[in-house]
Amino acid sequence: MAELELDDLTKVFVEDDGNEIVAVDGVDVTVADGEFLVLVGPSGCGKSTTLRMIAGLESITSGELRLAGERINERKPADRNTAMVFQSYALYPHMTVKQNMSFGLEESTDMPAAEIAETVTEAAEMMGIGDLLDRKPGELSGGQQQRVALGRAIVRDPEVFLMDEPLSNLDAKLRSKMRTELQRLQDDLDVTTIYVTHDQTEAMTMGDRIAVLDDGVLQQVGTPLECYHEPANRFVADFIGEPAMNFFEVEVQGDRLLAEDFAYPVSNETLSTVGDRTELSLGIRPEDIELRTEASSPHDFETVVDVVEPTGDENNLYLTFDPDASEPDTFIATTGGMNRIEAGQPIVAHVPEDAIHLFDADTGQAVKNRSLDDAETLGRAV
Amino acid sequence: MTQTRLDDDGLSLDRIGIYAILLGLVVFYLLPLEAGIVTSFKTMRAYGQTAPFLPALGGFTVAQWSSAVDQLSAGLFNSVLMAVPATVFSALLGSMTAYGLTNIDWRGQVGVYVLFVAGIFVPYQAVLVPLKRFWSQWAPLHIWLEPIWNLTGLGTDYAGLLALTITHIAYGIPICTLLFRSYYKSVSDEMVEAARLDGASIRRIYRRIILPLSVPMFAVTLIYQFTQIWNDLLFALIIVGPGDASVITQSLIGIGQSEAVTNFPLQMAAAFVTALPTLLVYIFFGEQFAKGVTA
Repeated sequence: MAELELDDLTKVFVEDDGNEIVAVDGVDVTVADGEFLVLVGPSGCGKSTTLRMIAGLESITSGELRLAGERINERKPADRNTAMVFQSYALYPHMTVKQNMSFGLEESTDMPAAEIAETVTEAAEMMGIGDLLDRKPGELSGGQQQRVALGRAIVRDPEVFLMDEPLSNLDAKLRSKMRTELQRLQDDLDVTTIYVTHDQTEAMTMGDRIAVLDDGVLQQVGTPLECYHEPANRFVADFIGEPAMNFFEVEVQGDRLLAEDFAYPVSNETLSTVGDRTELSLGIRPEDIELRTEASSPHDFETVVDVVEPTGDENNLYLTFDPDASEPDTFIATTGGMNRIEAGQPIVAHVPEDAIHLFDADTGQAVKNRSLDDAETLGRAV
Repeated sequence: MTQTRLDDDGLSLDRIGIYAILLGLVVFYLLPLEAGIVTSFKTMRAYGQTAPFLPALGGFTVAQWSSAVDQLSAGLFNSVLMAVPATVFSALLGSMTAYGLTNIDWRGQVGVYVLFVAGIFVPYQAVLVPLKRFWSQWAPLHIWLEPIWNLTGLGTDYAGLLALTITHIAYGIPICTLLFRSYYKSVSDEMVEAARLDGASIRRIYRRIILPLSVPMFAVTLIYQFTQIWNDLLFALIIVGPGDASVITQSLIGIGQSEAVTNFPLQMAAAFVTALPTLLVYIFFGEQFAKGVTA
């Protein structure tokens, strides 16, 4: 077990024609001993490259990688005390499950065969694949292959687990089951883990902390609830949360934020945090929009329901200010699944001021996040 | 539905026409083979009295076959001695080269690969003279390996056979590399990386992961190379020449021609004896071959 430090880690790929592409740009994170860190971002954001640098499959252009305080930039992949689980599982198709799991121990240690067999059996029992040891990967289901891949990593008894979208090849039901199982496993083994995914649900549910990456640059590191309620910038706000946060481009005029379709009055307190900025993005999470039948406050806006998406437990409502347009601009509000609401129906959306986020329109930096009287305590308690 | 209806009134004029043409083609292609087989079982007398493709009821004999085997046995032995190692080593070296050029990353590998591809297109005729000079003046195996020829009692003629073996190995590496490379490109990079993380060296990854996965492609290259090398006459004539170490294709040229009349039945039998090993290789590796070709 050990702490893993990524100190200003940078990867520059040089193309054949001399073009330089910065894939990872100065990523700075310290993963505590036994912590489960999720590296999340859209595809091409550099999260896999970061993981591959840690594994040693990709050289580090600059910056330092330290395991338990010791620089490991130059160490061979096999000598870094990490084990990786790949998206494709990367099992050896001509070997049985037992041989797949023994391979690493045979190649990297002097462990006698009997001890290897014992370790492998133990790990297989733990993963619930004890009865599959003599099968080949081709005869296993996706979920079983996934377990073999995990078992192969566990057998190595590494200091750090590296996981590259390990659940993305599973069907939805199995994925959520394996999600829980993986968390429990990581908890039991208490091994430092870095988990790469593009799926914000996995990030929210699995990580002790989330590191959000975009375009090679680290956007925010924090607990899932911090990232959700106190996003550092508009990118994080947009990326974390499903359905995503609604954004409106607004202009500050006096004590009001002027959007295309509405004017939103704000308090002096909010105005003071805005300072002398004039162009802002106003963000509001779908579940923070309250639906009413009559407009009674300045934060109530008359809208029309464009589309209703029932998900059972709740309804996603696509609301619009402009019902006559053929493809109207919409924003999303969620409401309980038992509410009977139909498309075309007029409805009043209440946007409470303590739930709004404001972002600088140019830089995207958060100017004001929602006030967190309840959520803050929640976030810290995790 | 359409399919069954076609089958129902299957004896339409169209279908009869198609079958007639197919049958004609089958006869056209198989007749020479049939004539060869039939002829090889005829006595010289019967050969003169019957049409080439008709069996000779009175003049049936297996003497031509036993005579062919007798006369070709030395060549057969030499050919096996040369073709088996040449085939195995060209496939093995091609596989290793392809692995080095595909699954391992290093600078300038594309340039090296292009050289290999170019090697495929060097025609035999262009290298005959340099090849002969190389083996006689620069790498005179009959002198270098004299103790071996003396000890084994094979005679220095076999230096030529060894030279031919090495030549075929070298000439076979480019095409084998090309075949294996296309196969190794489909091998998952993540799997090779997993093996690296598991602590396997480049050599161990080849030995334990890549090689066992290459069996179908080995079947393809083994069949292809064996047929090529076994059937080669040009290099054998230039490098081995007449003598104790002649390979079977060399022996085949002269067979049945020493007599006053060309002994066609004997030539036919000899041709089949010569072709038999390539046929056997196809039969033995056929299943793996199909896997390798479709992979």
